[in-house]
Amino acid sequence: MLRDLRLRDFRCFPELVFEPAPGLNFLAGPNAHGKTSVLEAVCILLRLQSPRANSLAEAVRFDQPGFGLDGHWGERHMHMKFTDALKHFALDSKPQSRSADYLAVARVVWISNDDLQLVRGSGSPRRRYLDFLGAQVVPNYLRQLRVYERALRSRNALLKDNRPRREIAAFDSSLHEAGGFLLQARAAMCADLRNSARESCRRISGGGEALEMAYLPGSPADFAAALENSRDEEIRLRTTVVGPHRDDIAIRLGGREAVSFASEGQQRSVVLALKLAQAGRLEQSADDPPVYLIDDVFGELDPTRRNNLLKALPPGAQKLITATSLDWLVEEDEAALFSVGGGVVAKKK
Amino acid sequence: MKPADYPEPFHDLVRELRRLPGVGPRSAERIALWLASAKDARPLDLAQALRHAAENLRSCQTCGFFCTEEFCEICRDETRAGGEICVVEQATDILPLERTAFFHGRYHVLGGRLAPLDHVGPEQLRIGELLARIKIEQPREIILALSADVEGEATTNYLAEILTPAGIPLTRIAHGLPAGGGLEHADPLTLQRALSGRNPVRV
Repeated sequence: MLRDLRLRDFRCFPELVFEPAPGLNFLAGPNAHGKTSVLEAVCILLRLQSPRANSLAEAVRFDQPGFGLDGHWGERHMHMKFTDALKHFALDSKPQSRSADYLAVARVVWISNDDLQLVRGSGSPRRRYLDFLGAQVVPNYLRQLRVYERALRSRNALLKDNRPRREIAAFDSSLHEAGGFLLQARAAMCADLRNSARESCRRISGGGEALEMAYLPGSPADFAAALENSRDEEIRLRTTVVGPHRDDIAIRLGGREAVSFASEGQQRSVVLALKLAQAGRLEQSADDPPVYLIDDVFGELDPTRRNNLLKALPPGAQKLITATSLDWLVEEDEAALFSVGGGVVAKKK
Repeated sequence: MKPADYPEPFHDLVRELRRLPGVGPRSAERIALWLASAKDARPLDLAQALRHAAENLRSCQTCGFFCTEEFCEICRDETRAGGEICVVEQATDILPLERTAFFHGRYHVLGGRLAPLDHVGPEQLRIGELLARIKIEQPREIILALSADVEGEATTNYLAEILTPAGIPLTRIAHGLPAGGGLEHADPLTLQRALSGRNPVRV
């Protein structure tokens, strides 16, 4: 649990102190006053990377050399600063040169409007969704993914240049060894996520049509044979046509494709359900729950779904939620309210 | 008025030093200052050593290892003839293998590995030379000692395909645990390779 957070020269804040409550926290305020930046700072402090900026340099306050973040996760004191394009981080005041120990402390779940790509986008955000989980819960996953990507890119470069078959085939053993691993791990993850995603979706949309997610492997079960059989096609298209880089997840609501048949609000519920399922799976493999950072999602949901989503969030976890207004919030909710504006975060309740 | 600066020969020196790997502008200036003014610098000895190395160092015509004559000392050593040929990526890979004092055959330096992403194909490697050598030397065995990453594996596969018709026994070095190390220090992939490449125990 995040107990406190201090920002220096971060985005629009020269200096800021923020002490969230253990459970629900709402950050309300007008647009462009720094609500998302506070959430981003939490993510960078805990995970050393920004969910929205490609480079941490974008988060430095205008005309300043760098930013600093500091806070406590439970009993652990975390500190990170970014200066001269370099990250420095310390755990309990001891500078760390490797990130492994530092990143082992806390996990975050980031939910924002960009997640709609999970339903609406091409296959790549859905593969990223599985990879994000795989990298954290499946041993060796990240390494096999890197091997696969390198073998695939090499192979595609050769196919593109019309190189002799034996040069292309030299990369096949790495490709099906790593690819076979990915196909198997992703199928297992999808099976793991199916039920909890359906359950979350039911709770958020308050019953209604059932969410069904199914793994669509980019290759038949025998990947090596499929690669062999696809020879003519890959020569014609000059790229590798079977394999986990073609994986996808079918998302259906009441038996129909969510991307074309679900309404805007339904699609949002589906995305939230997928994210909550992912977070639930992450939670199983760690000692303490992640902190949920939920950016600007509530504004787009109807009041019933908002309150359903609040109930669907794990009760034991800390939640930081931004919204432009909170008129809809049911009074008896146990929540801490903060208003963000004018460079300060003030506690209202 | 133009501000005073180092004289031109000093700048020439800094410019040349900066071309060296691992030397940035500050280091280049510091080395140049030291060479130009320290009592023990002996810059002319350095110049002499550079000239000597540049004029005399070359690669062996046969295997590609460093030498000063047409052939390197390993290829001139007749006691190594007719044994195994160990194929490596770089000339520097030979030295650790020699330090094992276990291998008594000859080497062949490929000069890289298949890396389509860096535009290295078979034409850039010394594969033709290897095939020609095998015909003449008729080695007992060919050992592939390439790195265990994606490109190294691909190069091993490719060479296996090319060399098999020659009818000479072809092997590759094993993956496994570092000597003297316990299982707890091995990473999962190494351990997995060690498991799949296990050997029968003879009593």
